[in-house]
Amino acid sequence: MAAGFAILLVLISVLLWTYARTAANRTHDLLLAGAALSILERTSLGLEGATVDLPNSALEILSLNPVDRIRYRVFVPGKAEITGTQDLPLPAGMDLSADPVFYDAAYHDADYRFVVQGRRLNASSGSGWVAVQVGQTVELRASQQWSFFISGLAGLAVISLIGLGFVWVAIRSSLAPLRQIASDLRLRAPSDLSLVHGAPPREIRGLFDAINGFITRLGQTRTLTETFIADVAHQTRTSLSALQGHLSLAAGSDDIDRMRTRVAKAERQADRTVRLTNQLLANAMVIHRSDDASLHPVALLPLVRDMLAESMRDSRMRHIAVSFEDEGITAGRDVVAGDELSIREALRNLIENAIRHGSSDNAITITLAEQDDRIKLSVEDAGPGIADADLARATKRFTSLSDQTKGSGLGLSIVKAVAEGHRADLQLGRSSLGGLRVMMVFRRLATVLTLWAALGITGTGLRAQTLVIHSATDTPAVQPLLDAFSSATPGVTIDYVEYQTLDLYETMRSRDVADMPDVVISSSMDLQVDLVNRGLAQRIYVPPAITPPDWAVWRSELFGFTFEPAAMVYDKRAIAPDDLPANHRDLAIYVRENETSLRGRIGSYDLRASGVGYLYAAQDSVQGPQAQRMIEVLGRAGLSTFCCTTEMVEATARGELAFALNTIGSYASLSVENVPHLGLHFFDDYNLVMTRTAFVPKGAKNAELGERFINFILSDEGQRTIATQTPLIPVRPDGTIRSTIDRLIHEKRGTFLPIRLTPALLTYLDALKKKDFLSAWDISIMALP
Amino acid sequence: MRILLVEDNDELAETIVDRLRAEGHSVDREADGNEANDLLRHIKFDIVLLDINLPGRSGYEVLRSLRARTDETPVIILTARSQIDDRVIGLDAGADDYMVKPVDFRELLARCRVLARRRAGRASNLFTVGPLTFDRGAKQAQIGGIDVQMRAREIQLLEIMIDNLGRMLSKEEVADKLYTFEETPSLNAVEQLVTRLRKKLDGTPLVIKTARGLGYMAYVADDD
Repeated sequence: MAAGFAILLVLISVLLWTYARTAANRTHDLLLAGAALSILERTSLGLEGATVDLPNSALEILSLNPVDRIRYRVFVPGKAEITGTQDLPLPAGMDLSADPVFYDAAYHDADYRFVVQGRRLNASSGSGWVAVQVGQTVELRASQQWSFFISGLAGLAVISLIGLGFVWVAIRSSLAPLRQIASDLRLRAPSDLSLVHGAPPREIRGLFDAINGFITRLGQTRTLTETFIADVAHQTRTSLSALQGHLSLAAGSDDIDRMRTRVAKAERQADRTVRLTNQLLANAMVIHRSDDASLHPVALLPLVRDMLAESMRDSRMRHIAVSFEDEGITAGRDVVAGDELSIREALRNLIENAIRHGSSDNAITITLAEQDDRIKLSVEDAGPGIADADLARATKRFTSLSDQTKGSGLGLSIVKAVAEGHRADLQLGRSSLGGLRVMMVFRRLATVLTLWAALGITGTGLRAQTLVIHSATDTPAVQPLLDAFSSATPGVTIDYVEYQTLDLYETMRSRDVADMPDVVISSSMDLQVDLVNRGLAQRIYVPPAITPPDWAVWRSELFGFTFEPAAMVYDKRAIAPDDLPANHRDLAIYVRENETSLRGRIGSYDLRASGVGYLYAAQDSVQGPQAQRMIEVLGRAGLSTFCCTTEMVEATARGELAFALNTIGSYASLSVENVPHLGLHFFDDYNLVMTRTAFVPKGAKNAELGERFINFILSDEGQRTIATQTPLIPVRPDGTIRSTIDRLIHEKRGTFLPIRLTPALLTYLDALKKKDFLSAWDISIMALP
Repeated sequence: MRILLVEDNDELAETIVDRLRAEGHSVDREADGNEANDLLRHIKFDIVLLDINLPGRSGYEVLRSLRARTDETPVIILTARSQIDDRVIGLDAGADDYMVKPVDFRELLARCRVLARRRAGRASNLFTVGPLTFDRGAKQAQIGGIDVQMRAREIQLLEIMIDNLGRMLSKEEVADKLYTFEETPSLNAVEQLVTRLRKKLDGTPLVIKTARGLGYMAYVADDD
């Protein structure tokens, strides 16, 4: 029935699963189709064949899905790659058409959903097809599919539970006879072993029979026990009567010699009674323990050695030649499922027998040998042995074969009980020493995994850990953070390696997974997003309380920890604060109107030399067509270009520049605080903000430590360290105004436009797009007369 | 010997005390665990015979606090239980031997003698049995007043065997005690050494018994 239910469940699950997948696909395919369409629209036939101007909107559309990584490719089927990732998989037997084709495919260890769509381009020079392929990983889709699936299943479960309720009621009423047995058994006296009566339905007749069978067996066992108790009573009473007889004769005797004889006899009888009692107790214990499921792995080698060494303390053993042969059996191969106490008792009785029945200089040999999957434990002696005819009787309870030694007749029956309890064979025979040989043949336990326990988890003690950070951001800006982290986590040394942004990006792309650093930090947001989009980062946990705002996090993998607005730095002697342009449009007008006086006195980044400069410029162009006009205006005014913020600010301080655009605000503000004639300015329409980001690469040796570091720099303490000890501004400011820039940011709040950490940043990393953008820039800048 | 018997059953205690006194030992008896504990704090005994089930505090506790005071007085545990747990706990707690009641008096006396000898051999520089004397300080053995010529290893072995009277030592244990880690002795060498020493002890009551496959045990023969 369970199998039937399971099959049903599987069937329903498969249906639900397929439905959930279709539903999830539909949603996500819309995004893919939108992106593909917006790229297709921007394809055109140029002089050198088909080309594309990758629209920012395409990747923005895909970024509506906040989780997944993306890939794209624009190509002329079978002829030329235009841009994007060239080796993306295509569906088998694809027939390119103007209709989108959706399919799932794996690419670089991740599952992707792809769309391929074509467009026929016509131009005077000819016509041809161009294809766009866009792909996105399916993490969000999979989780949506799951949630559809689970909610479907949950509904089903509720209905099933209600159904089960009805079933329960039905079963309850039909199984009433069982309740009757239950009350019958509950009220029964322990001594009442009569059978259970009743008229059970056919389905539970078997149960009735089983219960009655068990009661019958219980009755048999009880009879056996009663017989045993009667035997014990008989044996002890007889023994004690003999003792009592000897003692009362001794007490009533007048003759001192006769009295001494009687007392001596009484003493011997007492010895026998003691031994009898001991063995009866041992017998009861052994039987009881073999009933219990008390068998567990026991190593015989140490057990036998230990038991023998212990028995040697008995002074009667001094003249007996004891030897132990282990026949080369090794530790680990001597393990049986057994009860240590019972095996000891058996061994003790065998040795006791050998001492008792042999001469005082007897020889006893104990042997432990292995044979196939058996372990043989034998005890032999040089005593009189047992005649072959008597062997069968020897293990019977209360059968003592020798009148001279007056054994209790229990020793061998204890051994037999132990053997039975261990499902071991008991073999009696003649020893090569001349006496009796008793052998117990145990089944060996399949080589037990005791090694595991021995190996244990050792050597993982606390060791000094090293955190490896590869970073493309200035050391002075990070050093205080490293120091603060070191003192917060003692025992950790930090290995800090500094790179240029592009070098870091290139090495990360080509580095072997085996020697990844633990944390990668860079000021270049787009390059970091590209690394994460390639699947190089691993997910880390950051508590919601310290998680940066949405724009500064992607995929729980990449985290921004600073807030760095682009700022205009100006020379107050060249521009009066009242004349400052309020927004970007005014700026263009202002520059155009003062073109002559400003010639060569405006500074900004050299986009080819600076990643940050390129990022700011590219994001400016996303804001609208006026950005291109601005570049042209600046070009006409003879824009001077610089590699970095510091140089621009210094040139402004020296009076060489009237103002510098898109400087990194936090750095510029340092100089502004110190040079009275410098001013810092933000626009009213928008001010771009970038952030420095960090992630833990896949394959990091101390990933856990890397995660701790990122958590630290995002924590209140880390953010305060950034605010107070570095020139940077934390991504989560605490609201305290410490400097001019803090005040300005506060005054112009609402105008700051953070660059979001999304795959849309990849648009301007596209080789073709970048080339076009930079050549447009070159033309504008060179266009000066 | 001065012996302390801690046993709460008066009848049994009486017979043991009588028997031990008849052998010429001086015997004190306590019936209560707490009182026995107090007594052991103040008076040194040569041997303690300790029952487990006691009023006041259990024999184990008495033993444990005795050993916690780094008192090395030999202790024999007398128990009516034959379960192995008792043995493990007892010996782990630092008992030297144990016997299950009812005890055979001869056996009890023999074990007492062994322990007393072992302790005496360790505590004093001079070990004497019959004609054999061994001067631990001078590393010199004499039989009947005459110096026995022994090599350094033999003296060392003799010392080890006296320290462990009545206790089974495996061949490996003997080798470990005799040789340093670097010397990596052959077990054959141990065997030959024992044979030589046994020959030199011939005629004295000190016997080194060999149990093949198990090891060696020294005992004093006329103790029986």
